[in-house]
Amino acid sequence: MSDDLYRLVYYSHNAIRGDAANAITSILAKSQANNQRVGVTGALMFNRGCFAQVLEGGRDAVEAVFERIQQDERHGDVSLLAFDAVPSRAFANWSMGFVGASMVDAACFGSLVQQSGFDPARMTGEALFETLHRLALEEEGAPA
Amino acid sequence: MTVASLKGTVKALEPRSAALPEMATAVLILDENRDVEYVNASAEALFAPVDPIGCTLAALFASSGATGGDDVFLTVDAGAEPAPIRLRLSDSLLLDCTLRALSGGGFVLSMDDVTTYVRNAELALRDGLTGLLNRKALRERLVERLSAASRTGESTAVFYIDLDRFKAVNDTLGHPIGDALLRKVAERLKSALREGDLAARIGGDEFAVIQSGAPQPAAAVALATRLVDLIGRAYAVDGHMLHIGASVGVAVAPNDGREPDALLKNADLALYRAKAEGRGCHRFFEPGMDERMQARRSMEIDLRRALALKQFEIAYQPQIDLTSNNITGFEALLRWRHPTRGIVSPGDFIPLAAEIGIIGAIGEWVLRTACMQAAGWPESLTIAVNIAPIQFRSGKLVEVVTAALALSELSAQRLEVEITEGALLEDTVDVLRTLSRLRDVGVSVSMDDFGTGYSSLAYLQMFPFDKIKIDQCFVRDMDAHADRRAITRAIIALASALGMRTVAEGVETEAELLCIRAAGCDEVQGFLTGRPMPAAAVTALLQSAHLALVA
Repeated sequence: MSDDLYRLVYYSHNAIRGDAANAITSILAKSQANNQRVGVTGALMFNRGCFAQVLEGGRDAVEAVFERIQQDERHGDVSLLAFDAVPSRAFANWSMGFVGASMVDAACFGSLVQQSGFDPARMTGEALFETLHRLALEEEGAPA
Repeated sequence: MTVASLKGTVKALEPRSAALPEMATAVLILDENRDVEYVNASAEALFAPVDPIGCTLAALFASSGATGGDDVFLTVDAGAEPAPIRLRLSDSLLLDCTLRALSGGGFVLSMDDVTTYVRNAELALRDGLTGLLNRKALRERLVERLSAASRTGESTAVFYIDLDRFKAVNDTLGHPIGDALLRKVAERLKSALREGDLAARIGGDEFAVIQSGAPQPAAAVALATRLVDLIGRAYAVDGHMLHIGASVGVAVAPNDGREPDALLKNADLALYRAKAEGRGCHRFFEPGMDERMQARRSMEIDLRRALALKQFEIAYQPQIDLTSNNITGFEALLRWRHPTRGIVSPGDFIPLAAEIGIIGAIGEWVLRTACMQAAGWPESLTIAVNIAPIQFRSGKLVEVVTAALALSELSAQRLEVEITEGALLEDTVDVLRTLSRLRDVGVSVSMDDFGTGYSSLAYLQMFPFDKIKIDQCFVRDMDAHADRRAITRAIIALASALGMRTVAEGVETEAELLCIRAAGCDEVQGFLTGRPMPAAAVTALLQSAHLALVA
């Protein structure tokens, strides 16, 4: 067993049909509960085409969470972009934060995706992480 | 019979019967009303804290959370021979219970603890690493399923699953990571199955699944597709990102076989096909796969002994210098002359030889034989030998070449090795290093089949080839095709600028020769200027001293 801190970054094409905002709410609620239990934090971004997610935590916990994602039928074409030991967490207070748009806008924030430069297919793990991190900081700084 | 009278009987049978209270086998004695009348120490311990005395068996089992005891009176009531039933106590203790009627009225129930025995038997059917069934258990369960299916008319599908690139993970990262990966694969496999499906690990990186009671072939297509996708997804294992793939072969009973072994064999044949057709896919068994497999196996057997039986020959095809019109050398072309197959084309047997791992030995033989032969020719003549991509991977090519040169006493300057772009596709750096070492020894290096592969120009920049061989597809009928003339001229101009000589391959007509000459090519090789010929014919040709073949 290893408790070393690791960060994993991936994106995947999502197979959610219908009410995307509802689907995200349920995914977030579930992963927040699961991740808090095993000490995994991170951020999730979603658009009509893909998920991008950062997972941070103990190596075994991150591997277990990622394995559950891989076995989830809603994810297709998961691209694992980075999996490295890191000195500290970037999303320490986010059991699983959703960044980039408010929940109600989630289903239609394709335009915001372009504004934020979020195109996971063109990004390395490092760049995707930086983008999510920046968006998360903006989100935290924004007035409620 | 009362407890008091029973105890009296025991006492009368001293000393042996005194063992009853202390026996490891739990014993319960019931009276005529089937209420528990006596328990020995082992039985008391089993049911503690419940006191069995005065209970019915049903009440006793229920109060201690036991299951499987409903039929305990079945054989006695039917007047049949006593047979054990298996009772499971709540703490997963397994007991084989046998009830016998006593001649003096009442019953005796003996209970043997078989927990360890059963667990060991189950373990013997399990793969120790993944907990899936093992090969033996898979076959046993398949026998059961097929016999049940033959009554119900249901289909049963068998899947063979082979991991692609697993060996590379194991070799580079070590067995502990490989084992952890196999456990994750087993988990994914299980997650894709429905209740009632069975998964087994039947070899190092080989798995199998039995799917029954599902509408076929739709269910098998769905599962095979899902398995290829699921197992092919990235893994995070012990801090590493790992990527492997899965090839899947499927056979469905009863269409693809009713017998377990036939079905397993057909799933294996389908898997073989999936691997042959690029891996990372699934294939269903089809009639005819067996024949093709047999044909391949028979070819494999023949090929393995072809070297020992001296069935290989080398034909030598002259290469002509277009300035002097003289023979500059010969290319060594491998032939396999089989007593019943006749001449087998290299295109048919070289891939198989590579696959079964004998290409190195054949390549070595070709090098030695060709060098030996060329050593007897006039000193101006060269010998060109093809090197297969896989020969580079052995890491011994330079040694093999220098040994052949030493043995034949052929000067290294007279040997040319020909490689295709395919050799450079993988491990480019290693291959280039090997080529440089060959060059250091004095051997020339030619690029074969130029223009037909991938990123040819990049390779030209990476290594200063001595010669470029222009593929026949640009030479054939070039007199009638302006585009072929343009490509040929461009290749020649490029080679000339890079200081490389050019050889046009497959020149068959005078018209083609004229065009090639006009394009400024250095050498030609083809039917027009000389067919491949046996060594003896080369000697005769050279002796006749008609080296100038082209007017």
